[in-house]
This record gives sequence, structure tokens and C-alpha cells, in this order.
Amino acid sequence: MPPASSVMIERHIHSVQLENPGTEEPDATRARLRDFFPRGSTRRMTQLGLILGRVLAELNPRPDDTLVYASTYAEGRALEDYLSSFPAASPTLFQLSIHPSAVQQVLIARQQPIGEFFPLTGHRQLVAHALQTALLAGAPRTIFCGGEERGTWLTECGVASAQTFAFAVALSAQPSGAIGTVRLVPDGGPDGALALPEFFALLLERRPCYQVIAPGLTLDLSWH
Amino acid sequence: MSRSSPHAVRIEACGCRTALGPAEATCAALCAGDRALQFRPVLGPDGGDRVPLAPLPGRSLAETAPPDWLPAVDALATEIPPGPWGTARHPVFVTSSNFGVGNLYAFQRTRQPAHLAHATPFAVVEFLRQRLGWGANVTVLSHACVSAHIGLLLASRVLAAGLADLALVFTFDFISPFVAGGFHALKILNAEMPSPYSARAAGSIGLGDGAAFAVLSRGPGGFRLSHQQVHNEMHHFTANQADGAGFRTCLAPLAEAAAGGRLWIKGHGTGTLEAGRLEAETLARLFPAAPLVSWKGSLGHTLGSCGLVELAIALAAIKSGRTPGSVGSTAPYFADTIAAESFANGGFDGVLLTSNAFGGAHAACLLRHD
Repeated sequence: MPPASSVMIERHIHSVQLENPGTEEPDATRARLRDFFPRGSTRRMTQLGLILGRVLAELNPRPDDTLVYASTYAEGRALEDYLSSFPAASPTLFQLSIHPSAVQQVLIARQQPIGEFFPLTGHRQLVAHALQTALLAGAPRTIFCGGEERGTWLTECGVASAQTFAFAVALSAQPSGAIGTVRLVPDGGPDGALALPEFFALLLERRPCYQVIAPGLTLDLSWH
Repeated sequence: MSRSSPHAVRIEACGCRTALGPAEATCAALCAGDRALQFRPVLGPDGGDRVPLAPLPGRSLAETAPPDWLPAVDALATEIPPGPWGTARHPVFVTSSNFGVGNLYAFQRTRQPAHLAHATPFAVVEFLRQRLGWGANVTVLSHACVSAHIGLLLASRVLAAGLADLALVFTFDFISPFVAGGFHALKILNAEMPSPYSARAAGSIGLGDGAAFAVLSRGPGGFRLSHQQVHNEMHHFTANQADGAGFRTCLAPLAEAAAGGRLWIKGHGTGTLEAGRLEAETLARLFPAAPLVSWKGSLGHTLGSCGLVELAIALAAIKSGRTPGSVGSTAPYFADTIAAESFANGGFDGVLLTSNAFGGAHAACLLRHD
């Protein structure tokens, strides 16, 4: 077993897909992205499911991919509507409100099985741990995806996202044709953080990054 | 295609809490045929149909702030070996399906702001982290009822990569009107007690509280998870492929890995009909000599915690020499491998443990021991 200090994990970035719909309402998102889904499948999808479906469609997930999904709040609107449905709880909203419903909505609509699927949640170290999960996968290709959807009254209470966005990043060990590289270096202090919206901004602006993002984990993100 | 971890990990310590107590007490009560499930109003103090639920002793479904399940978590935490948990070389992996959603439901009903401090996954994990004295290296996973399995898988992978010396996997799920109301709306939490793997007219499940932990290392010998396997059908939110292909894809590699061994099987077995039939038939084909048990007819389905809760009970069963049977299940069964009664397990050298979740998620692991 190698000593801890020598363990650095690395993957190359082959594609980055982003959805940044700003303040677009769910029905407008549904109308805009309808063509990315099988006919009739978008009616019950959440806004997060729709935008994740759009970014994942570009990467065409395969059964031998490892899929890593990160979301701090996930389906804020479905959660609001499900809570409001009591005492006659809605079975559909129950399913849609459960993590990781957004990815399941997409892959079930595509009838796309997948071997490994790691749905993560969290906050300040979410990106660090999701990246670590993605970089440790043994699959030929790993897709790291994530996102949030803006809530209404739950956002006002501070327990749902204030932003709507989604991303999907295709990673592999192959350097040829890569547009960037992500490394996790096992050093740094006892703390460190990088929240999901901050990571989305790095992707959106193609900004490099070298910072401690969790205890003992430094992110080295570079673009070619 | 399914995926497995080829890296064996040793279980240094493991424990749980259920409605029947710690792992050893739960195992003994199951062997005695005790059933923790009782009919209670599905929405707790808000009433509703009476359905089978197994909360921890003294817990109601009216969530408090801080949550009324904390004493059970505190008691469980005393069994975790001391260590610098949550630091770089001692990561923690927390898994749950519900986290603090009971407090979110309570906030929606009462508008008491104190509930919001526990209402999101990260908030309740941060609360636990500080309460239990962990550092910030806490990975949080949530994949409905296979959550604990993927926590074990990821922790094993981090250990195998040399990124950790020891890993703590901690899981919890406590029932609330939020989740009970949802399963009731799906009509599988109903006025019948669950009878896992029974071929009867209508299926039913029960729900129970559960929390558990495991400390994993790369050390040899002892109790170890030799293989872990996952697969996600993505066929339907609440149904499996009708031909059982999802079960086969996940379980066939484990049958190959276990060839020559003598196993017993702790299945998922919630009490639903179609999934129960597919699971029992597939397991009987792939492991024809292995007795199959489910404990959810007594404990209820402990949701995202079930994989690790039932691993802790399995370890207690091995240590006690007796495996609990499928409490609450009655013939006729979907397969002739179902063990209704408890049995001596001294002649076995391993256990297969399986779990399933929404989206056709499958997870399984092989527990071996010397």
C-alpha cells in the first residue's frame, strides 16, 4: 500500500455541459427543453430533472459509466408541493422529492441502466467529496453531474436553493483530446470548502483553481 | 452492466439501533420471533389510517427540535471506537434517505423556526458532526434504500486507494409522517402487516427506525466484506424489469465470487409482491442451497439505513451462532429457500446481504468470516 502522501488522483476533462437558466420558471424550462426528452416524458419532471436531462443528453450516458451526482438541496419545488399535499399525500410528488430523483427522472425516461451511481449531498465539502468519488471510480468514463433548482417558500426559509443550474462533466484517465485536468492532491489543512454554486462558476468561466476544498484535499483544476 | 468493488475490507466494529434495541438484543428478539411493528396512525398526531410502524421505544412521529431520535444516536455513538473521526486519514461517510425531513414536515405544520436547523441534509449532518466531535471530512450520500450500501462501497474504495487508515460509515433513518405518508400514498404501507416473500393476494410493508455504524480497515482476517456489487435498472421509479434482469445483473457476479462457499442470505424482502417474487426467485436460482431470510416483517423497512442495520444484526447472528428467521412471513412462499424459522449458522462461512431502492437500484455485499 503506498504511503498516504503519495496518493494523488487525477482525471482528464473531455466535455463540460452547462445549464444556467437564471430565473426561468419551470414551465418555461419544460417548453424550452421538451425536444431533449422522449415524447410525453416531461410532464411530471422537475425543473432540476429537466436541466440535468439536457446536460446529460449531450454526454449520452452508457451502462459502463460511473455516474456521480451532487446536489445540496435537490428538488426544492417538488418538496414544497409534496409538503403542501398533506394530509392527502401525493405519491408522484413523494417520489419526485426523494434524492436522487432528478437523475432517475432522466435515466428512466431514457430507459438507460447504469452500473455505479453515487448520489451525494452536503454543503461546504460537497464538491470535494463528489470529485473524490468520481476520481476513484474504475470505469472507463465517469460523469460528474449536479445542480440545484430555485425554490419559493422553502428558499425564503433558507432550506432550498436560491439558484437554478446544472452541469455535467465527462472524465476519463485518457489525456488525448482533453480540455482540462482535475487533480485532488492529499494535502492542505484541517478545513477547506468549495460549495456547488462556486464549482459551477468555475466551470462556467473556465477558471483554473488551486485551493484546499476539504480536510487534507486540495483541488487542482486546469484548462488546456 | 453492474459494478463491483474487488477490494476486501475488514469490519473492525459495527453496531446498530432498531425498535428492538442494539444489534445483539435485536438479533435475540428476532430469534424469539418478536415483532416490533405495531399499527399506528400514519400521520402520527395528525391521525390517518393505522399502518405498521416500528419507531424506537418512546419515539412518536411528532418531530421535536432538536429531534427526539438524538438519544438513540448518542447511545449508538458510544459503541464507535474512539478516533480522530472526520480528519483527513479517518473519513466519515454519513448515509441516509430522510436525514431531518421529519423536522421539515414539522416546520410546515407548526411554523416553529427551530425545526429549520435540522431540516436539510447538510444541517442535520453538521449538527451530528459537532455533537459527535467529528472533523469536517464527512462525505454525505443519499440513494434512498441502498444509501448505506453505497456508503460502504465508497468507504472501501477510499481505503483501497490508500487515502484513509480507517473509515467510519454512519447511517440513520427515522420515520416521520413525511415518509410514512408517501409510502401510504403509494398504497404499499397499508392496513396489513408485511409478510416478506409470501405469495399472497396483496403486498404490504412496514416502516421502522434504524441507525447503524461500521468501522472499516484494510486489515486482513476477521469479518470482512469481500465483494460489493451495485446496479441501477432505471426502468421505473417503483417497479423492476418484469423479467428480473436487474436482480440477475447485480447478483450473478456475487454467485460466481461465492462459488464453493456455504452462505445464508439476508435479503431485502420488504413485503411487496412483485419485487419480493423476483428477488426470491433470482436468489433461489443463483444460490439454491442458501437459506433466505428477511427481518423487515418484524423491524419494518429502515429505509436508507437498512443495509448497515441488517449487516450489524447479521454480525450479531454469526457471533451468537443463530440466524433469525423471516419473522412475520407465512407460507406459501415465492421460493423454497425461504427460512421462516431461526437456524444454527455454525456451518456457514459467509452471508450475502442485499438491498433495493427506488429507480430499480440494487446493492449487495458478501460478508465473509474465518
